[in-house]
Amino acid sequence: MEIIRVSNLHKSFDDIEVLTDINLTIESGSVTTIIGPSGSGKSTLLRCLNQLENVTSGSILYNDEDITSNQTNLNELRSKIGMVFQSFNLFSNLTVLDNCIIGQEKVLHRSKHESIDNALNFLKQVGMYDFKDRKVTTLSGGQKQRVAIARTLSMNPDIILFDEPTSSLDPEMVNDVLEVMKNIISKDYTFVVVTHEMEFARDVSDRVIFMERGRIVNDGTPSEIWNINSNERLKRFLNI
Amino acid sequence: MFILSGSIPKDFFGGIWFIIQNNYPLYLEGAKYTLMISIAGTTLGLFLALLITIFRIQESDSRDNFGTRAYKRISVIMSASYVEFFRGTPMMVQAAIFFYGFAMIGIRIPILIAGIIIVTLNTAAYLTEVLRAGINSIDKGQMEAARSIGLTRGQSFRYIIFPQAIKNMVPAIGNELVVNIKDTAVLSVIGVSELFYMGKSIAGTYYRYTEAFVTVAIIYLILVLITTRILTLIVKWINIPNKITFPTSQSNPVEVN
Ligand SMILES: Nc1ncnc2c1ncn2[C@@H]1O[C@H](COP(=O)(O)OP(=O)(O)OP(=O)(O)O)[C@@H](O)[C@H]1O
Ligand SMILES: [Mg+2]
Repeated sequence: MEIIRVSNLHKSFDDIEVLTDINLTIESGSVTTIIGPSGSGKSTLLRCLNQLENVTSGSILYNDEDITSNQTNLNELRSKIGMVFQSFNLFSNLTVLDNCIIGQEKVLHRSKHESIDNALNFLKQVGMYDFKDRKVTTLSGGQKQRVAIARTLSMNPDIILFDEPTSSLDPEMVNDVLEVMKNIISKDYTFVVVTHEMEFARDVSDRVIFMERGRIVNDGTPSEIWNINSNERLKRFLNI
Repeated sequence: MFILSGSIPKDFFGGIWFIIQNNYPLYLEGAKYTLMISIAGTTLGLFLALLITIFRIQESDSRDNFGTRAYKRISVIMSASYVEFFRGTPMMVQAAIFFYGFAMIGIRIPILIAGIIIVTLNTAAYLTEVLRAGINSIDKGQMEAARSIGLTRGQSFRYIIFPQAIKNMVPAIGNELVVNIKDTAVLSVIGVSELFYMGKSIAGTYYRYTEAFVTVAIIYLILVLITTRILTLIVKWINIPNKITFPTSQSNPVEVN
């Protein structure tokens, strides 16, 4: 079953087109990774999916509803499409636990009790339970990213978007976070991951998308992408 | 307590001592009003600034319909004009316009209330700018993350952005209080019996202007030093790594470290 369908999407910033005619469908429960050189529009595409960026033209269907329309309730939409950022963006005025309950209480209107239970569950899953009362500013990068993942999971979203979740981490913490991500992969969530971790992409993806200059250039399974018959540009990017 | 000026010692320090001994209730009364007006004005000004800031930071996005867009535009223009007006004119002139303006249309506002209102309006203008600078200094990622879990823009400000901005603002609010303690002196123009006004009337009683005003200066200094120390303690207590500069008010602000 498809959960996202992007059709003829264009996105410009002040007359400069950064996404050109993007067409893409994403299956519910799948893992899609987006790779490509810096500036190719990966983040922008991801941010269009939860409407942190408005599209210039084209449509994005989420469960058959066009979310680029004015009728869409963006806050409700975003509670179902979570996002994990490169720079973590934990709420620095809140504790670890409060980071994971504020959205549940204010957006999903869950009770405090229910929110805490749910949050603690996910904090356990990412290995951050013991840090629940800490100020987020006292955590290491890897710990912050794990909390950010728990914060996203606490909203019980359908889709989770990851924008280079390990790119600002010290090398020794990268694997921690990748392990956490592997752990939560299941049919309950649809993942769209922008990453430079090629090994990870190859391991976990159902599908890999290679972008260049605002276009989708290749789109296939990992074995199709890491193929000796791939085009030269892609092979050079993948170092094969 | 009417004392003939003939009995006051001729020398400077003797004069000061004599004036203090014989007029301290008046000075205390003046200091009381000065503190009252500046504390009330700063506090109310802060709340008014929060309100004005809400209008000041409206931003339209491409999904807004024409009405919403117009409303946001007007909010920004009105609040920015308010800030420009109060930052761009001397508080003494504002006080005169406000007080005599209302008197002209037959409304007599009690002088103390008029004083508090003027300080409040002024403080609100400055703190609106401070708050805006504080908000702009918060990492954009905070707002993005807040929106990404579905909080509205309003909720994001209320639960995430404002609390962080206010915390960064505490030294600036403290500075504004100190500035207000000094700047309430200009309210003597409308006859508020704060410290400077008292000094003027005491000076007139003895024809000893320097002595009376040096005494006033000493009392201001004591008030400011005590306030600054208390503020420093408060800032230490909330322990802020503060490296942001804020727009400052009419007088030079006192550093609160
Ligand atoms: N808010 C913006 N305003 C103007 N231009 C932007 C904005 N955001 C992105 N761009 C431009 O759009 C293009 C695509 O940027 P994007 O961040 O999507 O690339 P990316 O593939 O994620 O790159 P990276 O791997 O470096 O993160 C770049 O040229 C960038 O400069
Ligand atoms: Mg990017």
